[in-house]
Order: sequence, then C-alpha cells, then structure tokens
Amino acid sequence: MRSSPPAWSEALLRIFLRPEVFLSFSGDLLEQYRDSVLPARGLRGADRWYLAQVAGIVLRKSLPWAALFAAAYVARMALDWLWPTNHFETRAQVSTAIAAAILLASGFGTSWKSRSFLAGAAAGLATTATATVLSMAGIALVLAIWHDPRTMTAIAGSGGLSEAFFLPVWLMLPGTVIGGIGGLVGAGARRAV
Amino acid sequence: MADVLGTFEQAVLLAITALRDEAYGRAILREIESRLGRDVSPGAIQATLERLENKDLVRSRLGSGTAVRAGRPRRYYRLEGSGVTALNEARATVENLWRGLPWPLKGTT
Repeated sequence: MRSSPPAWSEALLRIFLRPEVFLSFSGDLLEQYRDSVLPARGLRGADRWYLAQVAGIVLRKSLPWAALFAAAYVARMALDWLWPTNHFETRAQVSTAIAAAILLASGFGTSWKSRSFLAGAAAGLATTATATVLSMAGIALVLAIWHDPRTMTAIAGSGGLSEAFFLPVWLMLPGTVIGGIGGLVGAGARRAV
Repeated sequence: MADVLGTFEQAVLLAITALRDEAYGRAILREIESRLGRDVSPGAIQATLERLENKDLVRSRLGSGTAVRAGRPRRYYRLEGSGVTALNEARATVENLWRGLPWPLKGTT
C-alpha cells in the first residue's frame, strides 16, 4: 500500500517553496503524514490532509498578489459605475497594464524564490483564482453600498452585473500565461545571478 | 526595543525554548498544539519560523534525515540573543499590563 502523498501534490509544494525550505518542510509533512495522519484517517483522508496543507501554502504565497489584483479590479469596476464614461479605452489600457504587471510580478517573485519557471505559471493561476473569490466579495460590497438607479444604469452600460462578477474567472488562463512569462524571467534571472 | 511579538510568534519561540536541541518543525508543531490545546497548521508554523528567522530572532541548521522522512533533513531551530530579549520584553509587557489587577477577573454580568 502507498504510504506517501501523491507525487503531484509534492511537486506542487516544491514549486512554491525555496529548495532549502522544501527539503525540510516536506520532510516534516511526510513525517506527520506517515506517523499520525495516515494511521488515523486512512489513505484518502491522509491525501486530503496533505492536499489541504499544500493548498494552504499556495494560498498564503498568492494572497498578497491576489489581494492587489482584486483591489485593482474592484476599483476599476467602481470607477466605471460611479463615474461612467463612453470612452473606456484609456481605462481599459491602464487597468489591463496594472493587472498584467501584478501577474508578471507574482510569477517573477515566486519563480525567483523557488528557482522554477513553472512556479510562475502556478502563481499566476493561484493569484487569479484567489483574486476571483476576493473580487466577487469586493463587487458584492460595492453593490451593497451603491445600488441606486443611476448606478444600476451605469452598471448595465458597462457590461452588466454578470460580467462584473465573472470576468475574473475568464482571466485565469491569461493569468497563468502571464504568470508563466514572469516565471521564465524570474527563474532565468535567478540562475544568471 | 525588540520587535513586538504576536501571540503565535511567542508560542513558536517558547516551543523552541522548551524543546532545546530537539526543536525542528514537527516537534515544534506538537509542542504548540499541546500548549494551545488545538490543532495547528504546519504551514502556519513554517511561515512563522521563516518570519522569525528573517527578523534574526532564531537561527536554523540542517540535521540528518530519517527513513520516515524519506531521508529529508530536519531543520533545527534555536533562539538568538535577540529572540530571548524579545520574549522577555513580551512577558514584561503583559505583566505590566496586569499589574495591580486581580486574576481571574470577575465579570459583572
């Protein structure tokens, strides 16, 4: 019977941690997995426990970038709703540049630390996924504060509520790609230093 | 004055102190769980240890691995002088806050 967590979950952990931290921390997790979690919860339960630990690490690493991303997204939405315009181009260019910069920095920073370019793509995905949840909460908060007829008309004119809530979901794939580009640069720069 | 320590940082530093030469990740986790009486996430311990090391309050060294860890090394932690100072200041702060007050406090409701 298998007595180790799934290899892919360890691989995910590896790309989010510095190599020297991964060795000792994954050893601690493996020790706990085998000594206490596996006997108490069985293989499936132990695998779920291990995955929860990895998810916690991924969330912790991506949360600051995700919070920035979500703040930028909600600010852009609020701007369009409270100060509507017919010319969205400049706003779109600025907000796209900010979002791309956050994802690039997230990918760069994560890959710089872990020295793996894959970490950049994973960081981009984790950042946009976490930001999606935060953005939905932020949009709901904005709506709770401002929901007068004028604002609702402005919302309808700028894409509608469903776009406001679900656009971040569609940004996960580009987020992964942009994070991956940041990761390539980050891992390459780290190796060059 | 040393950095102001959070409660969880104090718990980690006190666990390292109590464990002496055996203060590695999992042992610290178990010590804290037994002191706090609740489950603690290994990731939270790891993040706190990294933060304390970045603040130069603790220092770490790699030890040997064991079979149950698939040969991966344990990272042992010990307090730096600044860590001891920070713990003493944290304790003194709490004692100063409580000076002159009875314990446990009696509620009025």
